[in-house]
Amino acid sequence: MKRLKKHRNQLADQRSAGSFAVMKNQNRPFATVPIHLSASELGFRVNNFSTGLQTALGRLPKTEVESADLALFAPRTVSVNVRSSAIKIGSFTFPESAEFLQDADSKFCRDDKKSQGTQQVAAASKLAKRSTRIKPPNDVVKLQDRLYYLLQPPLESLLATNSLQFQFQPFPYQYEGVAFLFSRYSAILADEMGLGKTIQAITAIRILLRSGEMRRVLMICPKPLVTNWQREFKIWAPEIPVAVIEGDQSKRRWQWENPIAPVKIANYELLMRDRCCVVDKQIDFDLVVLDEAQRIKNRNSTTSQVVRAVSRKRSWALTGTPIENSPDDLVGIFEFLSPGYLNSDMQPRKMAGAIRDYVLRRTKDQVLSDMPPKLFRDAEVTLTPEQWSSYETAENEGVINLADLGAELTIQHVFELVLRLKQICNFDPATGASAKMERLEADLEEVVASGKKAIVFSQWVRTLEKIHERLQRFGPLQYHGKVPSKHRDRVIERFKEDPRHSVILMSYGAGSVGLNLQFCEYVFLFDRWWNPAVEDQAINRAHRIGVAGPVTVSRMLVRDTIEERINQVLEEKREMFASIFSENAPPRSSGMSQEEIFGLFDLQIQKSSQTNAA
Amino acid sequence: MLASDTKLLPAVGFLTVIEHPEHGFFGGFLVLNAMARPLEFHCTAPVRPNRAQEILYGTTLRPFLIGEHIGNALVQKAKTKIQLICTDLEPAIAVRNVNSTPVILLCSNSEEGESSTPVPRALRVDERHPEVPATSRPLVRFQLGTHEVAIPDAYEADRTAVEKCFKVCDGTLDLTEPFERIREAIEEAQKSAR
Repeated sequence: MKRLKKHRNQLADQRSAGSFAVMKNQNRPFATVPIHLSASELGFRVNNFSTGLQTALGRLPKTEVESADLALFAPRTVSVNVRSSAIKIGSFTFPESAEFLQDADSKFCRDDKKSQGTQQVAAASKLAKRSTRIKPPNDVVKLQDRLYYLLQPPLESLLATNSLQFQFQPFPYQYEGVAFLFSRYSAILADEMGLGKTIQAITAIRILLRSGEMRRVLMICPKPLVTNWQREFKIWAPEIPVAVIEGDQSKRRWQWENPIAPVKIANYELLMRDRCCVVDKQIDFDLVVLDEAQRIKNRNSTTSQVVRAVSRKRSWALTGTPIENSPDDLVGIFEFLSPGYLNSDMQPRKMAGAIRDYVLRRTKDQVLSDMPPKLFRDAEVTLTPEQWSSYETAENEGVINLADLGAELTIQHVFELVLRLKQICNFDPATGASAKMERLEADLEEVVASGKKAIVFSQWVRTLEKIHERLQRFGPLQYHGKVPSKHRDRVIERFKEDPRHSVILMSYGAGSVGLNLQFCEYVFLFDRWWNPAVEDQAINRAHRIGVAGPVTVSRMLVRDTIEERINQVLEEKREMFASIFSENAPPRSSGMSQEEIFGLFDLQIQKSSQTNAA
Repeated sequence: MLASDTKLLPAVGFLTVIEHPEHGFFGGFLVLNAMARPLEFHCTAPVRPNRAQEILYGTTLRPFLIGEHIGNALVQKAKTKIQLICTDLEPAIAVRNVNSTPVILLCSNSEEGESSTPVPRALRVDERHPEVPATSRPLVRFQLGTHEVAIPDAYEADRTAVEKCFKVCDGTLDLTEPFERIREAIEEAQKSAR
């Protein structure tokens, strides 16, 4: 019973507490709690005291009802576009004409060729390792044109995949030379003699012709080299027909005016004679190449004027000696390439920077590390007593005569004395005695005994003839201005093939350019030329690609004579040349000035004598 | 081979993309004839993915950006009918997803090595994602001349067409060399744009 009472009390407490809970739940925003109210008999005694609470307890609790909306708010959304906007694209298309003109459908086709598919594959894979890229020159500014060059395949693969094959594989630097020429409208290939400027020019011409970028090429070279160019074209571009401009005037006119071949070869002298056909009639060429371009170093010469007047799109100059005497020589060549680009007033340093993109110059030291060396030996001799006597007389009298001329003295007078003294250094005019000859004979004995061949250079035909008389036992051959042009190739052939001919005697004028005599290992400079470039050209007839062993160069030099003084000037010129074509060294402006020529005899230059030096 | 014959030979497209840390992605597409001579070149201005793309594309960003977006835009620009697209970047192979021309990946220079990087279990959305293959399915590798190439196995049927096309060009077309040209050309184009 007690337990039951207790339970009731608990229930009553809970109810009472329940009403209290409702009061508390009013603060909850979203919950509505039902409230149940009932009266209960408490069933126990209580004493009432008059506290006033009874009344309050009898009142029903005050209840407030509040309603809440249970619906959720709409969420805020943000859309992100993940697709990209349109891309800006630059598009370039290249001409279909860039397709190579292949042998079979070309008018150029001269030699029928067999199918070369398999060889082509082999060649392509062999060449894949080497890669010479064609770069656009700086003066090409349009992006489309620059990309055209940049996007060409490497030269090796271009040649291999288009069946342009060679009898001999070009050297890597020669590929670079071809790539250099290929993209240029104005260029000087100024490689040192013997590095193969000819093959580089021919290959570049071949590619441009075969790719349809050119159709008419004019090659201008010195007369003795015409046959050499013909031969080289046959070797390096056998499928390209070449026509030599020759014959009488009417035949030549016809040759100039008609498209007889994509490549025409003319010599400088002939071009001068035919200027009316070439210049006046505005015969147009895609490319004009000048071999031995130093021929136009003098801007005022007729040769330079005629050459510059030939209508053309591209101009290339080939020369191992772009500067023979002074930087002005280079200005002359640039008048052909890009008139006005250089001028004589330019500082050498500025000129060196300006030509950088137009001139490609490599030396054997740079590119042919495995080429046999060139050994210089200054063969110093002392004049024989007879020569001394003649020399001293000539010098003393000559200097007195020059001094007497006073204001009438010209550089020509000085030259005459120099030449006279140099001739005495070679042979005594009275007795024929020659210290140089004695030395040369002794040296040649040794050369011939070892089965080698030698070239002897002199500036005078008369000197060469005298040497010829004295060297009969060595079977000497002669190659100079007195030998008719039509016989010259035969002379070279005999020298090359006939073991009885151990020596060839050459003049600087006839034998210094374009000849390939790399089977010779000895070169003798019997006398010295006025500028080192011509001497270097002469030496490089022997020291060129294909040379079997070291080339020994003996420079004959007579002590205490004019030759020693000339040698000093030549050395200074070499330094000047190196400075222009060296990126680091500051160029010097020294050359063979009139002051220096007069200075050979301690003479003062007169104002009236101001003329061009050598 | 006659000059006219070369027009019958297939044209091959070379697709690559250069990533520049500051400017973004530069795409280049070079179309060569069978003699490796250029017919067309297309290149893009720099493309940068936005932040949302970086987060939402996650691991598929590069295949999308390089292959489907840049690659496809470049391929669409070509006027010459192209028989084969060659790429040296694995993400670029995704261009095949949006284009019907067969695409091969040159394996030697590809980014395929990256795909083998283990993927962490938990990825944060705000960090760089590891590279994943351009396609969800593996690549089929095979030898094409001297080159090892791959195609997505989803497009394994392309292999016959690829081999046929390459057979015509074999010996004349080096598949690796043109990418060097594209990179130089993109650089040149950017230089001129500055």
